[in-house]
Amino acid sequence: MSESKPVTWLDDPAHFRRPSRREFLYTGLIGGLGLTLGDFFKLRAAQTSTPGIVAPPAVAQSLIHIFLPGGWAAQETFDPKPFAPVEYRGALGSIDTKLDGVRFSEYLKQTAKIADKITVVRSMTHGEAAHERGTHNMFTGYRPSPAIQFPSMGSVVAHELGSRNQLPPYVCVPSMPNEFAGSGYLSTAYGPFSLGGDPASQGFAVRDLNMRQGITPERFDRRRNILATVDEHFRSLEKSDALDAMDSFYQAAYSLVSAPEAREAFNLAAEPEAMRTEYGKGEAGQRMLMARRLVEAGVRFVSMTYGGWDMHAKIQDGIAKQLPPFDQAFAALIRDLDQRGLLDTTIVMVTSEFGRTPKINKDAGRDHWPRVFDVVFAGGGFKRGLVYGSSDPTGSEPDQDPLTVENMAATVYHQLGIAPEKKLIAPGNRPIDIVRNGSVVSELLA
Amino acid sequence: MKPHPKSKRHAPPRSGWLIGCGIAAAVGGAFLLSALTPSPTSASGKAESAPPPPTGPFTLEVFPADVQLHTKRAAQSLVVRITEQSGVQRDVTAHAAFTFTDPAKARIENGRVAPLADGDTTLKVAYAGQTAAVPVKVSEAQTDPAVSFRRDVMPVFLRSGCNAGGCHGSARGQDGFHLSLFGYDPEGDHFRLTRELAGRRINLALPAESMIITKCVGDAPHTGGKLFEKDSQYAQTLIRWLEAGALNDPPEVATCTSVELLPKRLVLETPGQPHRVTVRAHYSDGTQRDVTPLALFLTSNEGSAKISKDGVITTGQRGEAFVMARFATHTVVSQVIVIPKDLKFTWPEVEEWNFIDQLVDKKLRDLRITPSALCDDATFLRRAQIDITGVLAPTSEVEKFLADPDPKKRERKVDELLGRKEFTDLWALKWSELLQIRSDQNNGGYKATLNYYDWLHAQLAKNVPINVIASELIAATGSTLENPAANYFQLETDALKLAEDTAQAFMGIRIQCAQCHNHPFDRWTMDDYRGFVAFFTQVGRKTGEDPREKIIYDRREGESKHPLGDRVVPPKFLGGESPETKGTDRREALAKWLAAPENPYFARHMANLIWAQYMGRGIIEPVDDARISNPAANPELLTALAGKLVESNYDMRKFVREICTSRTYQTSTRGNETNGTDERNFAHATIRRMRAEVLLDCISQVTETKDKHRGLPAGAHAVEIADGRTTNYFLTTFGRATRENICSREEVGPTLSQALHFLNGETIETKIAGGGVVKRLLGEKKSPREVTGELYLRCFGRPPTEEEIAKLEPLWATAADQQPAIFTDLFWALLNAKEFMFNH
Repeated sequence: MSESKPVTWLDDPAHFRRPSRREFLYTGLIGGLGLTLGDFFKLRAAQTSTPGIVAPPAVAQSLIHIFLPGGWAAQETFDPKPFAPVEYRGALGSIDTKLDGVRFSEYLKQTAKIADKITVVRSMTHGEAAHERGTHNMFTGYRPSPAIQFPSMGSVVAHELGSRNQLPPYVCVPSMPNEFAGSGYLSTAYGPFSLGGDPASQGFAVRDLNMRQGITPERFDRRRNILATVDEHFRSLEKSDALDAMDSFYQAAYSLVSAPEAREAFNLAAEPEAMRTEYGKGEAGQRMLMARRLVEAGVRFVSMTYGGWDMHAKIQDGIAKQLPPFDQAFAALIRDLDQRGLLDTTIVMVTSEFGRTPKINKDAGRDHWPRVFDVVFAGGGFKRGLVYGSSDPTGSEPDQDPLTVENMAATVYHQLGIAPEKKLIAPGNRPIDIVRNGSVVSELLA
Repeated sequence: MKPHPKSKRHAPPRSGWLIGCGIAAAVGGAFLLSALTPSPTSASGKAESAPPPPTGPFTLEVFPADVQLHTKRAAQSLVVRITEQSGVQRDVTAHAAFTFTDPAKARIENGRVAPLADGDTTLKVAYAGQTAAVPVKVSEAQTDPAVSFRRDVMPVFLRSGCNAGGCHGSARGQDGFHLSLFGYDPEGDHFRLTRELAGRRINLALPAESMIITKCVGDAPHTGGKLFEKDSQYAQTLIRWLEAGALNDPPEVATCTSVELLPKRLVLETPGQPHRVTVRAHYSDGTQRDVTPLALFLTSNEGSAKISKDGVITTGQRGEAFVMARFATHTVVSQVIVIPKDLKFTWPEVEEWNFIDQLVDKKLRDLRITPSALCDDATFLRRAQIDITGVLAPTSEVEKFLADPDPKKRERKVDELLGRKEFTDLWALKWSELLQIRSDQNNGGYKATLNYYDWLHAQLAKNVPINVIASELIAATGSTLENPAANYFQLETDALKLAEDTAQAFMGIRIQCAQCHNHPFDRWTMDDYRGFVAFFTQVGRKTGEDPREKIIYDRREGESKHPLGDRVVPPKFLGGESPETKGTDRREALAKWLAAPENPYFARHMANLIWAQYMGRGIIEPVDDARISNPAANPELLTALAGKLVESNYDMRKFVREICTSRTYQTSTRGNETNGTDERNFAHATIRRMRAEVLLDCISQVTETKDKHRGLPAGAHAVEIADGRTTNYFLTTFGRATRENICSREEVGPTLSQALHFLNGETIETKIAGGGVVKRLLGEKKSPREVTGELYLRCFGRPPTEEEIAKLEPLWATAADQQPAIFTDLFWALLNAKEFMFNH
């Protein structure tokens, strides 16, 4: 470009949401069924490289995001305040952990034993006290904008890293938890694949994955052949990127349905009973076990939710009910990943939209508090046995090393081998940074 | 966001035609501006030889067509353009001769018309035997006006990018210095420059040593790099302002009311000569000013037409671009069509059936693009069925239509389909999305939602003009149960959002940007935004006797406040005046304005919205993002369509008839050599996946099965679902809109879940089995060939080709007991085929 311009057309902030009709403008593709999902993602990614930005080496290959909707209380989980007055401290006690001088909630007994394998951040902070805005922050790494829908981190990872082993790159367990987990301004092609069923439920099966009753592999093949025949006329006449894109997803669906190894990733029943019990038979345990199976098979980004943490009233009871299953499952997941040698290449990330008020309210609960709360990391190059940052003595404000949403996102992307400063192209050809103004927090990393 | 590579970005203005050229040679009493044109040859130092004048006839035009010079510092640049018979245009400014009838009044200086003495004269422009006359008016030729902060200084910041979002315009500023984004707050900017850090940014004792000068000219380190030369007019403007004391403007300073970018449309050859443009601003005191050196130029398509900082267009590859100039709060565009030099192109004499074809073809001729051929009857029928009614034609209808010899049968079919109830259903669905009809705690839940939808459906069924529907919504008062239109103010209760949603839904305008700063690439200022919001600040809401009932009323109080200074902004129409609303409901004035035929946005937006529904793409795309920097691909067409809509009294059916009976609508999706890559100009039809609701309805139709949706009898269409919250796995997976905000709408992008559900999910499988179509066909003792033909006709709307029959024949050569399974599989394959899922 010979001309320099202070502002370009691309800075146009009339940059609202995605257009209704996705356009697949990759050129040079031959239509037809030769295109796999992997090719599809590769081709798409090749078009969107930003000159001058080099992706960092990938430490982590995959990520499990455990999201606790409602806003979890740091005081009753990873940042108890045993020396604060009772109206701040709450009714629950705390216990020692494997780390000297670090205490967790009394309901985190199992996690306390693996505290040396995880990274606890006690200084996460943002200013959004509404559920949807806080959730937006934690799923996208951006503050909400009235003007643009940002893609979730899972969709960005799908866009940047693509698919492995013919598996969808981004999977939600059990289903897409909220609208911010979607593909935002990116094509829906990068949206999550939802299991469509809860791994903890009886007779769980991933929706539409197994061949229907009465359809043998031979019959399925016959159907495919007939489909190829009846599709041919149209394909020979019509050329459209939309058709090619549809084809590539059909191709992926074929391989999932007909290739046992790909489908096996979703087969939770193949886990030994002892393993299922170790994680816990409830939602927390079975979803985390499912998540582990998926990343082990090659899924890049698994996003799962567990429980409801919006404890405005009787927080003591709520924690007593919801935290122990989480504790069991989370500790099992970390141990299991570590034993399989997957922990170093898998980031586990526990987040929530915000924390809860420093003081217990009149209903014995706590209200929304985004000023300071906890997130927990493990694996993928995060420093083991680290407590990063701190909240002040009443849990009101960050005391040391506040961690912003942008820096958290930048650090996570960096570990996955994605340059946070890279620009993606939003509608109107508008380049948008993957993370805006985020810096990698090296103190969090090993 | 790192805004730009700092080092290279702000190159000094090159010695272009405005600044560097000092010579206007007087040849035989006339001026020749031959030093003006920057071109590859002149840049490389070689003398530029005049290109030969056109051999054939041509027309000569001068831009602007008249010149007004106000004060001593005024100067007006000119563009002389010729149009050859082929439509190709050329900039001949450098080769034209200029003479004044009264040389004492004005002269040519530095390539521009400059004043000498007050009075009138005429500038004669001559080129290759043709002449044009430009009236010139000079006033206050001896007055040297003081530098104005708003008129002269602020534009330097905008043009140089100082107040862009990536630099000091960022909300947090840059390196400690903040300017309002794109200059929306001159008052605050003056404060920040002169008094925020007294003595730091400006130095009145040594103006040229001020930090704002030294940083910009590269004498002091500057993250944004060097922006202009010390002796440039930009630096000189700043220095003169500082020398005069860095004064703020008096309150009565004239403001810029409009800007022109000329010429408005260009057809250029590539490779070809560069072409200049000129930008003129009009001020509130009636004066005009050439602001070409102060405007910021941008292009929509670098590849086809580049535009330099000084406003010179260079052509690139074949294509189309919009070049844009921004000055003050105004943005204006010109359209540039770039065609290969000496292209062999013959326009095929295609039939033009109505005004749509004429206007589409006119643009295609300019682009040297041939439209695709007509689609065949089977394709037309399927396309019209899906677009107009959302259902497929029964096989008997397909056969009848294909066999019908009447040359007018397509027109008759459109008329027939427009009379169907499904036409109303489909539009009620579309409108429900625009109005975000969904059950919500706010609005009295499902009952109110159903009421609202039923009201909307009834209006559309009765063919109530759409401007009337819109105005009834905007002015609605009373009980949400008795007057369902009042739900408009219950589903959204925030005045800002109501204003934004109203602008977007009814006018296709997004004013959201202007909530916080002047819209940088559209005309909307914060004043416009707050003035529009003021129509909604007095909406009152109270609960009725029935807890599900809300009463909407006019509170007669509540004001819209400007965030700068917290002043009250009276109601003001977008781009229009401030109506007198004292003692009346402000929304009544708004409703009247919106529905009036002279409203500049409503009819255009509606025409575009309806057009997009049938053509797969808006003339402005996306349809709800009309702005100056996203111009119509074919403005004449959009204007004509809007006119037609008004002329027909906003009758949707008449309007849709015009579209669907045009040749343009009935072209094939298949591209030819010239139009294969064109997606903007309707040279061929667009392939579109059926939207979720229509897809489900069509599957149910061909499988002869019934769905049960909430609030509807079994067998009713998914298209008829009233509530945005009512959905099922199929609809959600295929992109049914949630209607949770103005931007939520149908998605037709493919996903893995969609493919799995089609291949392996319950919808197709249970519907094929449940409807028993295969069983019945086989029971009727039809031959395998007949059954195949019937299934093809159902799903694809066409009989199978002989080739397809030949390929499928081996399948049915199996045992008779295998036949049901074979044809079930064929049916499955036809439903999974793209020819079924896509409207083409």
